[in-house]
Amino acid sequence: MRSLWGTVREWASRVAAAFGWRDREMDEELAAHLAIAEEEHLRRGMSPEEARQAALREFGGVTQVRETMRLGEGLPFLENLRRDFGYALRQMRKSPGFTATVIGTLALGIGAAAAMFTVVDHVLLQPAPYRDAGRLVAISEVNPSQPGGAQWPLPWLDIEQWREQSRSFEQIAYSGGGLDGRNFLVHHGTAMEVSAEGVSSNLFSMLGVDPTLGRGFLTNTGSAGASRNNGTIVLSYDVWKQALGGDRNILGKPVQINNKVWTVIGVMPAGFRYPADTYGTPQVWTAIELGKQDQSRSNDANGYTVLGRLRPGVTLEAARAEMAALQKRMGQEWPADLRQAHSHVQLERYTGTLVDKDVRKALLALLAAAGVLWLIASLNVTNLLLARGTARAREMAMRRALGASRWRIVRQMMVEGLALSMAAGALGIGLAAASVKLLAHEISQSVPLPVPARPDSWILLALVGLTVTSALLSTAWPALVTARAPLEPALKQGGLQSGQSRRHHRMRGVLVALEVAMSLTLLMGCGLLLRTIYALEHVPLGFRTDHIVVAHLDIPGYRYAHRDLTTELYGPILERVQHLHGVQSAGLMTTVPLEHGFNMWLEMDVKGRTVKSMMKAATPGVKNVFGFPMAAGRFFDADDTPASQPVVVVNEAFAREYSPDKHDPASILGTKLIGTQRNKKNPAYTQVIGILQDVHQGSIASPSYPEVEVCLTQTTPNSTFYTVLDEIAMDLAVRTREPEGVVVPEIRDVLRQASPELAGTKITTMDQVVEDSYGSQRLAAHLLEIFGGSALLLCIAGLYGLLAYVVNQRTRELGVRIALGAPRANVLWLVMRQAGAMLLAGVAVGCGMALASGHLAQGFLYGVKAHDGWTLAAAAVLLFVSGMLAAYLPARRAAGVDPMEALRSE
Amino acid sequence: MDEAELPGAPAAEATAAGPLLQGTLDLMVLKTLEAMGPQHGYGIARRIEQTSGDALRLNQGTIYPALLRLRQRGWIRAEWGTSDNGRRARFYSLTRAGEAQIAEETGNWERVAATMARFLVKSE
Repeated sequence: MRSLWGTVREWASRVAAAFGWRDREMDEELAAHLAIAEEEHLRRGMSPEEARQAALREFGGVTQVRETMRLGEGLPFLENLRRDFGYALRQMRKSPGFTATVIGTLALGIGAAAAMFTVVDHVLLQPAPYRDAGRLVAISEVNPSQPGGAQWPLPWLDIEQWREQSRSFEQIAYSGGGLDGRNFLVHHGTAMEVSAEGVSSNLFSMLGVDPTLGRGFLTNTGSAGASRNNGTIVLSYDVWKQALGGDRNILGKPVQINNKVWTVIGVMPAGFRYPADTYGTPQVWTAIELGKQDQSRSNDANGYTVLGRLRPGVTLEAARAEMAALQKRMGQEWPADLRQAHSHVQLERYTGTLVDKDVRKALLALLAAAGVLWLIASLNVTNLLLARGTARAREMAMRRALGASRWRIVRQMMVEGLALSMAAGALGIGLAAASVKLLAHEISQSVPLPVPARPDSWILLALVGLTVTSALLSTAWPALVTARAPLEPALKQGGLQSGQSRRHHRMRGVLVALEVAMSLTLLMGCGLLLRTIYALEHVPLGFRTDHIVVAHLDIPGYRYAHRDLTTELYGPILERVQHLHGVQSAGLMTTVPLEHGFNMWLEMDVKGRTVKSMMKAATPGVKNVFGFPMAAGRFFDADDTPASQPVVVVNEAFAREYSPDKHDPASILGTKLIGTQRNKKNPAYTQVIGILQDVHQGSIASPSYPEVEVCLTQTTPNSTFYTVLDEIAMDLAVRTREPEGVVVPEIRDVLRQASPELAGTKITTMDQVVEDSYGSQRLAAHLLEIFGGSALLLCIAGLYGLLAYVVNQRTRELGVRIALGAPRANVLWLVMRQAGAMLLAGVAVGCGMALASGHLAQGFLYGVKAHDGWTLAAAAVLLFVSGMLAAYLPARRAAGVDPMEALRSE
Repeated sequence: MDEAELPGAPAAEATAAGPLLQGTLDLMVLKTLEAMGPQHGYGIARRIEQTSGDALRLNQGTIYPALLRLRQRGWIRAEWGTSDNGRRARFYSLTRAGEAQIAEETGNWERVAATMARFLVKSE
């Protein structure tokens, strides 16, 4: 009996031998044999020369023995594979042009598919970097009579009861609160903006992620107040690396955030983020300290975001049923007026809440488009290999005549295909990483999660899959065709494969038509997106975007605690910027229109009616910067000061919705809205003084929401909205005659001098903000331009390649035709007709495919229908005309065949 | 796979007395190792030639594929050692399985030889 270990050892030895690692041992053994034999002969009295000769003679063929040993010792299969690869590499070197074409084509297809897969992987497959993220569930309270949106607040008392009573969850954790306003980690005189999230002590363990350094928060045992996490902080890897230089001795040391000092207790691993859809700003986490506001169920209670991990085997449905029953009882503990609003619980998979349906659908559509390009590339390579197979028919026939089996030939060609596609795969992953990096800005504007360019194991797996499938797809057919070709005609000198090659051409024609059809779908998608972009660019925005520089200020609120940001920071900045050379006007505004960022929503009661609107602060200058037109009344001006009557302007949407006289929106002018002072006795109601014409605030494709703007110069630290309006987000907008390159450094200078934190402020142009607002369309358009353009090129190349080859093969026949008097125009027509047939067949099938798949692009489209006839027609004509142009070259060559030459050459 | 394409292992073809039957060389090697103990390739080849009374002239090289085959079947093992004249050489010795194999093969051979003998007697 052979032991298992023996078997393993033998296989290891065989693999080693197959790669030639045993050669030296073998050589040494054979050399020893010859040496011993030689000495033996010497001892019997032969001359040294004779002894050597005799030893060699007695041994027999040394080389032959070595070969036999190598085959016997190694794995014949591996050994042959190694040889096939060696042979394939030699073949590739011999025809560099062909090799480069094939590798380039495949790399394009594989690269496109791998790039899209990278995005899909990070956004759809593993959106949350946690252990077993599929079991994480977001829990919120909802009001069934008010669909859409969770109820606020979700207080600790409810969470605590769920924790105690529900059996569906392994753990329930919560987060929220954190540190107010903007946070800066101050270290050695530099300040880095961080986002700080308050978390329950069990959050990290619930997510199943341990700190890479140190520990997480401790579970509080006693009652609230006796916290063991007081003043401790956990850092993200990015903060640790970037702000603290990856100091391994950081544990237990203090870090300063704004004006408070925290003790570092842990560092989370690289790539960890919570919440999962945090973008950009590096994170830190503090433990939630429960307080008085956690002991009630009321609108003043602290509210939290709640996540639970389902016990293994518990389905979401079961958990829903249990929680619904629980909440029925628990809801009773809310005061009567809030009871209805908190009467139901909503459970959703956490990963499902991160990416909305439209993005998901859009990404899958783009992945499909990349897949189509990959398919086109593979078909194109099939076509190239078929042509090459014919060119190598004689070589292959010779090898079979010499005894190679069919399987051997097939394998040889498959290995060649694999070698080519492996090279393409390596190139493709590079292309994919490069394109993800190149499109990083657009990607960040259109997907809610970060997409690093670095490939992970899933992406590598997909790459291997793509590479192997490409090899199989593109070589299987050519290999079979070659292996099954009859030997005799191929071996006969000058014997052209007649019947065989006719069928062969038809197959290749079908391939080209298929390529054409698939390219048409991609071109159609590309066309639709281009029209969408065109439509978006021509929507009247309602304001000017040219010559405007926008700075998103990183407001260092902590420096201005107990001081007045309005007069001490914003006022001076505005003053100085206005006096820069070339600046025509400048203003400050919470967020400029169309910017994705902070939005403040305001809900207030106006005469018994709930008014819901967006709220912004602005200085008088923004009207001149953007040229906002007024529908009625006036905008803020220099006379609006903290001492004068507090004023607001609203937009038309607001006026339409909430004006006292339904039929006269302007009747809202002069009415009083919102108190601006915390003082209950004298709330200082603001007065509406103007109505702005509607502009698109969120995105061009969506309608305007009601909006209220308060005058920034009137807000003081006593104002109700001071914290949200002054401390969280503020954009500086500057209209300037100078080019962007000149004015940006000057503005940055002003900001740096105002406060060091502002040095890192992001400065862009309004045109860029508008551009970014249709980020997902722009990304889709860019990608489809690349995919469609590549597809067009590939299929033209395929068509040209096939016709050139056919003309070459038929040179003699064409020569005879011309010699017999066929007009050259007829010959030209003959070839063009063939091209036309392929193109028409492809376009016909492609139209069907494009119309059937058009709805995939639906989510991206604006101002154009998914089955738009004009776009389809344009794509079809483009494809047909470029195809015919590509066909013209070989056709002209066919018509120019010299009959004498053609007949002599055979 | 495609054993058919491997060049046939050179059987112990070259003999003075005609072709050697397949499998005979293996048994000879095993018997030699049984008789002499650990031995290097040259030693085994010489011993076989001598034992056969020089009726058998091996291409000595053919011993190596046979040794490899026997080693892969686990009947012999190989170790590097030093030959009588102080040269580094690879020494082969019988394994437990190899000893068992000798017994089995010997039985087989005796049966074949007896059968053949009966045929040869009849044809006379």
